[in-house]
Amino acid sequence: MQVMLTINGEAKRLSITPGDLLLDVLRRECYFGVKRGCETGECGACTVLVNGKPVNSCLMFAAQAEGTEILTIEGVAPDGNLDPLQTAFLDHGAVQCGYCTPGMILSAKALLAERPDPTDAEVREALAGNFCRCTGYLKPVEAVLAAAQAYRQAGSRGVSTKSGRSRGQARKKR
Amino acid sequence: MFDHIECFYRPGTLREALALLQKTGRRGAIVAGATDVVTRADRSPRYFIDVTHLDLDYVRKNGRGCTIGAATTMMALEKSSIIRGFAGGILAKAAATCGSIQNRNMATVGGNLANASPAADSAVVLLALDAHLVVANSRRKHRIPLAEFYVGPHKTVLKSELIVEIVIPALPGGRSGWSFQKLGRTETDISLVNAAVGLQADAHGRIKWSRIAMGAVGPMPVRARAAEKLLAGNALSEDLLAQAGEAVMNAVSPISDGRASAEYRREMSAVLARRALRECAAQAGIPIGN
Repeated sequence: MQVMLTINGEAKRLSITPGDLLLDVLRRECYFGVKRGCETGECGACTVLVNGKPVNSCLMFAAQAEGTEILTIEGVAPDGNLDPLQTAFLDHGAVQCGYCTPGMILSAKALLAERPDPTDAEVREALAGNFCRCTGYLKPVEAVLAAAQAYRQAGSRGVSTKSGRSRGQARKKR
Repeated sequence: MFDHIECFYRPGTLREALALLQKTGRRGAIVAGATDVVTRADRSPRYFIDVTHLDLDYVRKNGRGCTIGAATTMMALEKSSIIRGFAGGILAKAAATCGSIQNRNMATVGGNLANASPAADSAVVLLALDAHLVVANSRRKHRIPLAEFYVGPHKTVLKSELIVEIVIPALPGGRSGWSFQKLGRTETDISLVNAAVGLQADAHGRIKWSRIAMGAVGPMPVRARAAEKLLAGNALSEDLLAQAGEAVMNAVSPISDGRASAEYRREMSAVLARRALRECAAQAGIPIGN
């Protein structure tokens, strides 16, 4: 069967089998930033945004993606300029082996689109479905909070009138 | 994994979906959020019927209570102002613990009920709220009380039928309190024990009625009717709380598995029920005597 969808802003018509999972189809189409992890919806390595919402692509049939807009990590920095989230992950040492990183960045991107000034707890909840088996979660949480501030300063997600929380204050809250 | 699937149907109307369900019979499987269908990996279906385009994602409230479209996602429930404001928001609270955001964006309330996991967080809450399910096949539509819906772990009374809607009757007027309690390894993990409790105060600050539903402690979520009777008409005291806890322990029949032992689950059933009763009592303005 055929499925029409948009991937990273590009309209696509893909041939799929009725039982294909979205994860398999995306990897077949060479979106290798969509990682195959547990394949049971636990680890979040295969996270993509479907119409702006984080979803485990291992638990979604490709046929269900008809007419949707999908964002994978490949679409986050299409012109080669890193997204503030990506920069913050690098700056904060929030990447070790990198396998969980695409999923974490996409989950965080969805959070910041909805909550430009998230609390520490909101960031932790947003990342709760993305398992990291190397470095842990402290640095990714710090990176997301720093990226939120960078977004607000750049005004790229709407200018917030609230003053940005510094990393020191964010840490004290825990 | 699903290479044996011959067709993935995406019907646009309920009538069409029910006709497909009848046509495909035992070889057809309903797909909504897909989270359970994929993880269960049952190889018997040959056809998938997607029910997420039937306009079954809604939450409505009127004088007779609340109705929820079966394809409403857990995320939509947890964000719904109606659900957050209904019965202390316990259904929104439960929906917010049904797995990670990624799963809650896909998983639907109808799917959570139809999957019939004994630990389903939405089921225990809806059982406490005396919910009914509107169930349809191509010939008829009828109502089933949730209390009569389950026949065992992952088994329901459904036969090639679709859950269309969940109906929660209006709450009795008066001052009531509601609580959802969950014991899990993490906040969004599968429940080791869950509980949904409601109670109402009478004019004298005594308990007019109570509802106590317990999940993950038996083949299906259960109401602890003996404990409910014990509380009705009485002033709340530490002693009565202890007795209610005992009655809850007698109402449950947990198993031991990799997550927890039966003894631990039984003991924690009483703890969660008492914790919930205290929270409800505080909301309803019922004092707890010695």
